[in-house]
Amino acid sequence: MEQRIPVNRGRVDWAGDNPAIFLREDVNGPWTGLGIFFNVTYSQHGRGYTMIALGEPTASRGYPDSLNICITNNKELTNYLLTNFVSKFPAFVDQPGLSAMTVIEAESHQSGGDMKTFWYETVCASDVQIKMEWKNLATPMAVEVGPENCVTKLHDMYSVFFEAKDAVIYVNQTPLKGVVTDRQFFGRTMSTAFLAVSETWVIPESNPNENI
Amino acid sequence: MPLTNPIHPGEVVWTGENPGILLKESDDGPFCAIALFFRIYYSPVGRGTALLILEEPNDPVSLPNACNALICDSPELAAYIKKDFIEKLPVFAALPGYQASTVVALTESYPLGDPRTCYREIIKTDALDIELIWDQLSQPTALELPAELTGAKENELYTVLIESRDPTININGKRLRGNPVERIQAGIKTTTAFLYFSETWIRPA
Repeated sequence: MEQRIPVNRGRVDWAGDNPAIFLREDVNGPWTGLGIFFNVTYSQHGRGYTMIALGEPTASRGYPDSLNICITNNKELTNYLLTNFVSKFPAFVDQPGLSAMTVIEAESHQSGGDMKTFWYETVCASDVQIKMEWKNLATPMAVEVGPENCVTKLHDMYSVFFEAKDAVIYVNQTPLKGVVTDRQFFGRTMSTAFLAVSETWVIPESNPNENI
Repeated sequence: MPLTNPIHPGEVVWTGENPGILLKESDDGPFCAIALFFRIYYSPVGRGTALLILEEPNDPVSLPNACNALICDSPELAAYIKKDFIEKLPVFAALPGYQASTVVALTESYPLGDPRTCYREIIKTDALDIELIWDQLSQPTALELPAELTGAKENELYTVLIESRDPTININGKRLRGNPVERIQAGIKTTTAFLYFSETWIRPA
């Protein structure tokens, strides 16, 4: 067994939940509906939640001209997450919709389900609502990656992943286009919809790539 | 330090948040007040919220004479926490106040504040209004403990530790006596008042 170090002396950037849903109309086609949610219990920019839905990821348009929208109760935290995390996640890299999306102040957040079979997160603003639903959940697994395997190439990341075989993103009750497809996840075939809870992102003590 | 294989081969037992406050009146005396809070997102018996509160940990008394209770919104979760967590930790299980404690239904619970500065958990029952306050908070530290470094020495633990130098337990407006004391966890000198976020217990493969 490898030697583990019990205390990570690095800087905790944030801790919380970070589930997502990535949809396509064709297995080999572009993403047609992207959704990601952050419920942050600790960060250097405070606590808060942010939900992003891109109904037209390739369109440089915000809401209501497109269903490219972000609802948040902490804009400082959202800007930090967009710059340092979401824009580096493979499904969101260089998506015009991410830059063009409309950012709106949240009025409420609700979640529900049993996290064994299904789960949902709903975020509401004054005249718009995003709901993300995960169904057919798998047994959770713990994941731990270092900078070489982390999407940011900067962090140690700890998380508990639940694969969802089926998922839907709604903006004002309208489902975004596409379905869940397969992806490769550290040697396993998994779906493009998942819950990720109890997540922690840490800049290791000596990371030469650090620039955040 | 991350695993060689990013997917842990073990079984996730439960995941959630688990902050606590343990107070003493003197460094070498017994604990005189204990609060251990659980916000569980996933477990074998489902989700829920629980608080072990021992106002008189060293006396075999319970409500209404003293607030020695496990407050929980799920009877199944209360039984699971007692059997599979608390009773595997001698520091809690052997206490007369724990052995006399009763299970009480939780009616409301929510967090307040900011874990960078001052953080609170509010827990309510029909007759109790409990406020846990963690003030003078430190920078967080990520821990990944092998089973032998945990209390029950059974499961691995991932968690984010934020220590508090000035905690308070209030029950119906009355502040419990005592202060936090120093403790050592995984070689780190810390206190007996702590936030634990993103906590995951894993049964080794």
